[in-house]
Amino acid sequence: MASITIDDVTKRFGDGDESVVAVDDVSLDIEDGEFVVFVGPSGSGKSTLMRIVAGLETQSEGDVEIGDAIVNQLGPRARDIAMVFQNYALYPNMTVEENMSFGLKMSTDMSADAIEQTVTSTAEMMDIGELLDNTPGELSGGQQQRVALGRAIVRDPNVFLMDEPLSNLDAKLRAEMRTEINRLQNDLDVTTLYVTHDQTEAMTMGDRLVVLNYGELQQVGTPLECFYRPANQFVAGFLGSPSMNFFEGHVEGGTLRADGFDFDLTERMQSSVEGRSNLVLGARPEDITLHDEPTSGHEFEAVVDVVEPMGSISYVYLRAAQQDDDKTFIVETDGQRLISEGAEVYVEIPDEDVHLFDAATGETIHQRRLDADAEIALEEGVQTASSSAK
Amino acid sequence: MATQDAQSATSSQRLDKETREKLVTVVRHTVLLGWSFVVLFPLYWLVSMSLKPPGQANSLPPDWIFLPTVYNYIQLAQQSDFLAAFANSVVMVAASVVLVLLIGVPAAYVLSRYDIPMQRDVLVWILSSRMLPPIAVVIPFFVIFRALNLFDTRIGMVLMYVSINLSLVVWVMKAFFDGIPETLEEAARVDGATQFQGFRKVVLPAAKPGIFSVAIISFIFAWIELLFGLVLTSFEAVPVTLFVYSFIGSRSIEWSMLAAASTAMIIPVVVFLVAVNKYLAAGLSFGVVIKE
Repeated sequence: MASITIDDVTKRFGDGDESVVAVDDVSLDIEDGEFVVFVGPSGSGKSTLMRIVAGLETQSEGDVEIGDAIVNQLGPRARDIAMVFQNYALYPNMTVEENMSFGLKMSTDMSADAIEQTVTSTAEMMDIGELLDNTPGELSGGQQQRVALGRAIVRDPNVFLMDEPLSNLDAKLRAEMRTEINRLQNDLDVTTLYVTHDQTEAMTMGDRLVVLNYGELQQVGTPLECFYRPANQFVAGFLGSPSMNFFEGHVEGGTLRADGFDFDLTERMQSSVEGRSNLVLGARPEDITLHDEPTSGHEFEAVVDVVEPMGSISYVYLRAAQQDDDKTFIVETDGQRLISEGAEVYVEIPDEDVHLFDAATGETIHQRRLDADAEIALEEGVQTASSSAK
Repeated sequence: MATQDAQSATSSQRLDKETREKLVTVVRHTVLLGWSFVVLFPLYWLVSMSLKPPGQANSLPPDWIFLPTVYNYIQLAQQSDFLAAFANSVVMVAASVVLVLLIGVPAAYVLSRYDIPMQRDVLVWILSSRMLPPIAVVIPFFVIFRALNLFDTRIGMVLMYVSINLSLVVWVMKAFFDGIPETLEEAARVDGATQFQGFRKVVLPAAKPGIFSVAIISFIFAWIELLFGLVLTSFEAVPVTLFVYSFIGSRSIEWSMLAAASTAMIIPVVVFLVAVNKYLAAGLSFGVVIKE
């Protein structure tokens, strides 16, 4: 097991004017035994960053340290890592047993008997003992995934690297394997880097998230911290499903004038605004409430555009009645609430659940309130996380 | 009443569909049988001619029923020139296939995996060797072979066959390597293999179907080559195709011997095909052997 330090790493592809910056000056400390998830949309640099740690790409600038050694000049074979690839990358000409023993044969001087014993016990742990004589082509997607994991685990490496390993599985199997990988990581306690674009995987799996966009580090923190205390509008929009609603507006006195409604800023919000005029108000779909009639006078009128019933909940797409454009926002309601397209409702955005972002930079300038217990728990998490992030 | 009409309409539709399907099957089989006849009849004609006594080989109307004889084959086996030419061809063609694979497969791998300056031009340049008609280059080859003392040598003919097949091997194998995910080699490198070990232990076995396919095609192209053999050999390195051709004289054609020699020429190709048959089907579907 080993800690990982990524120090001012930049990766550029191409030369001169045509070069593309895939990873832009990222620094990160990952503790021994930690499960860290790199998350971001396509092209955010998350896979490139992992491949730099693996030694499959060479960084243009900066250092990568595994354990106590700088590994910039070392190839993948010298880094004592194991990797699970998105397409599993099982050797098609080898049986499952040969796939799993290949790494041990290549990187250790273990005897054939010892290798066979290790492979067999790992295969049994992964519940693929009966598949050892099969070739990858004879296995289902789920079985291939288990073999790929088994091939990584059997090496007993210092670091596990997993590059979107669940993206080729169906939804049910993906949920099962998510739990399985979490359990394995807890049992083995090996430092793990996990790349995904799926925010559900990111939220449920990692000790910490590393959120990336356009190669730049957006936020490093626990899943709950990133969710409830997003560093910027990108993180707020990326984590959570459906995404947070954003309403652009400008400040006039103590009021944010958005397209179709006005929102009265609280004193705490006004103190955070610090003279900015253009803001973005963010509110998650589950925090917004719908009323049939006006109640407190803070609501605004909206028209239901589309209703997506999900069973226990429904997603209601609305448009403010006074709105100029066609942009909709989403509200999560009780699945049993009867609501139909075209209906007129009153929307309440609670003061305490609102985030405010600088419209120009996207930086968060006001965070929502949390319950006292959640606040304390989050603070503790933040302290742990910030001590690891540079 | 309406229901009955609907039922009878559905029933007649079903009948129509069944009849149509049967008709399609009959037409398909008839076409296939016809095509098989077109393809196999010359082969039948050749083999039957080789099994007829010399006087009967080319009689008109043809003798459809005859007593088969191996007389022509015995005559052929007794001609030491034929055995020498046959051995020449086996050795030269086999050596050329091994050599063309040794050169072409690594070249294709490099062209597939690495960014090489002017890569596209290099590929087109390799292909250009097949663009000229052979007759256009045979005289320059003759001059070069004489100058390099390669005229009428087995080594010369091996090099000739390699030059004929190299572009095919490089292009087909490049397409094949392009279809093998690079993550396989990366997985091997992460597993502790060197770049070369990754190529040898992971990529090469995965490319086996492609390698066997190009081996078969190269073998056949070299085995049936006549023009260069005709110009670049005289006695020592004569290939079997040239020997077969020698039965066509200026005044007469020895049809029985020609047929027997041609039939004998088919045998190595069939043996080679049967030996590597299991790899052929996968190899002809270039690059789709591995699930991405």
